Amino acid sequence: MNKTELKTITGVLEQGMNRQLLYYLDVCTRCSICKDACHQYVSTGDVLFLPAYRAELIRRVYKKYFTRSGLFLPSLYEARESDDRLLDELYRSTYACTGCRRCMYYCPFSIDTTWVLGVAKAMLIAAGKGAQILTELAGAAVSKGENIDLFKDIMLDLNKETEKELQSLIGDSKATIPIEKEGADILYAALAGVHSILPPSVIFHKAGLNWTLSLFESANYGYFLGDVEKGRIIAKRIVDEAKRLGVKEVVISECGHAYRVMQYLYETWAKEELSFGVTAMVEIIARLIEEGSIEIPSGKERKIVTYHDPCQVGRNAGFYEEPRYVLNQVASNLRELNPSREKNWCCGGGGGLVAQPEFDEFRIKTGERKAEQIKQTRAGLVVSPCENCRLQITALNEKYDMGVKVTGLSDVVANQLIGRDIATSFEAGQTEEPEDED
Amino acid sequence: MNWLSFLLAGVLVYVAVAVFLVGTVFRVYYWLKVPRSSIRLGIFPQANSQRGRFLQWARDTFLFLQVLDVDRPMWLFVILLHIGGLAAFVGHLRLIQEFTPLATALGKEGMGQFSLISGGIVGIVLLVSVIYLLSRRFKSPYRDLSTPEDYFLLILIFMVLLMGNHLRFFGHVEVEAYRAYVHSLLTFSPEFPVELAESGTRWVLVTHVTLSNLLLIYLPFSKLVHYIGTYAVNLVRSEAR
Repeated sequence: MNKTELKTITGVLEQGMNRQLLYYLDVCTRCSICKDACHQYVSTGDVLFLPAYRAELIRRVYKKYFTRSGLFLPSLYEARESDDRLLDELYRSTYACTGCRRCMYYCPFSIDTTWVLGVAKAMLIAAGKGAQILTELAGAAVSKGENIDLFKDIMLDLNKETEKELQSLIGDSKATIPIEKEGADILYAALAGVHSILPPSVIFHKAGLNWTLSLFESANYGYFLGDVEKGRIIAKRIVDEAKRLGVKEVVISECGHAYRVMQYLYETWAKEELSFGVTAMVEIIARLIEEGSIEIPSGKERKIVTYHDPCQVGRNAGFYEEPRYVLNQVASNLRELNPSREKNWCCGGGGGLVAQPEFDEFRIKTGERKAEQIKQTRAGLVVSPCENCRLQITALNEKYDMGVKVTGLSDVVANQLIGRDIATSFEAGQTEEPEDED
Repeated sequence: MNWLSFLLAGVLVYVAVAVFLVGTVFRVYYWLKVPRSSIRLGIFPQANSQRGRFLQWARDTFLFLQVLDVDRPMWLFVILLHIGGLAAFVGHLRLIQEFTPLATALGKEGMGQFSLISGGIVGIVLLVSVIYLLSRRFKSPYRDLSTPEDYFLLILIFMVLLMGNHLRFFGHVEVEAYRAYVHSLLTFSPEFPVELAESGTRWVLVTHVTLSNLLLIYLPFSKLVHYIGTYAVNLVRSEAR
């Protein structure tokens, strides 16, 4: 590594320094209590995936270049030169992390490993070693934002098809899926793919909401990549649209990280205050049922249903009661995973892992806990309001022979509203949107 | 006091206390100087009220009960180590001022007995806890994660405890002599009373004090800075609303 590269890397650490990060770098005692909190360490036994070690890699660079004690006594801290081997280790341990923050829950100092890894990702990007597929996906999303006029006509055409599906599902030939509707109350940011558009459309239609569908998908590969600038631009597409249409509320699809980006990160990234509320899909469904806007028909599902708390919906956003409240309306036998809620194991697919084939084998291996947990409930249906979780659990289902169906919360509610079996898929016979998503 | 004792158990004590205090202030200042990110990093569930948040913070900081789910022995020894440390600190205060009400109630001999038993238990518990933490570090994966700093600190604390326990169990020096020494420190004229100066135990005491000084000096600059950092860092945990 030459001097310029080194300067780039230490520069990233210097620029990215903030008080929380400094606390995390300073107080860790390497007690390793976090080791049994991480599904990846537990499944592999590889120290590279031990949360404290992941952060330790950054700490060693910090000790070497930013502290006096590290300068005088580098060996005391194993303070490290930032060399290529370090970058390779960083790459493997950082991009493998799903960002579930289960280690933060168990840490006696509440150290947020993902916060430290945020700097690691920035270093890797600066050194030209950012995850390739995530870089491409983020780039595509940014370019879609810049050239929306090229995409719009295709999207409007596809939407006509989706609209017809909606009309036949609810038996109302006048039902629409509005796009670019000025004066709408709600802007719904879906994922690409009708499976993420149809169920909410059914629910919003039944509730009689004044809503409109966003031109942009809620998923944010800039966030997974760790590129704050790209992440900001990708989220800004929806923010600008919301401002242009004058909506009061942006509803984020069943996608864990997209909600986190909009609710917790965007305002700091963009240095602007949002003029609208940010609502998660689980939140609005619970609200609509509670206020009586939609009425769930009787005839609950009797088969065992289990709920997987997505890390970004539960531990990192606090929606524990809402999804359970909703599920109890449609199913009479809801069985909890053990452990669940804030202690729930990560599915193993978060952090953009499901989008990167290089992690396929790894995430199946590190998902064994999740597979075991689900099997123990003997459930036939797994509900989880996060696309990453659903894709991962679907993959686990195949490999570990779990014999379950995997679906989202709006899917089961929409099915119940139109009198179908709650496990019915919304995919069949549908056209996909042109870009690859999640 | 000979010159070496004067240096290690006299001058160095002042240096250590000064470095510890200034170092602590310096660390806090250094933290506060760096701007904090306005991103709320907390995790859920969270308390809704200020009082609830305070209780949650106190629980996270002092009890960290969630650790019981993943590593019970570690939780136990960590708690023992910290309570033991606090008890040892309180016990040492007797060398500044006798706990008069207790001493009156128990009598001179009773107080000696009480001190021997309670202090003895604390000393042993601390030693066992440190041995547990140290031996854990020699196993994988802890070994792969550990840095020399980790061993250095544990061995330093181990030595301090060993010397302290030696003074308690084999020292044959009465508490009054130690108190006289501490008082001489407090009046900035470090001196050993005759009883200590003429005893071989003196060297154990000098070692105990010297190593404690080193620990105190290193504390603010080591990972053990969590003695002050834990309060701030656990507050971040409940920052999300």
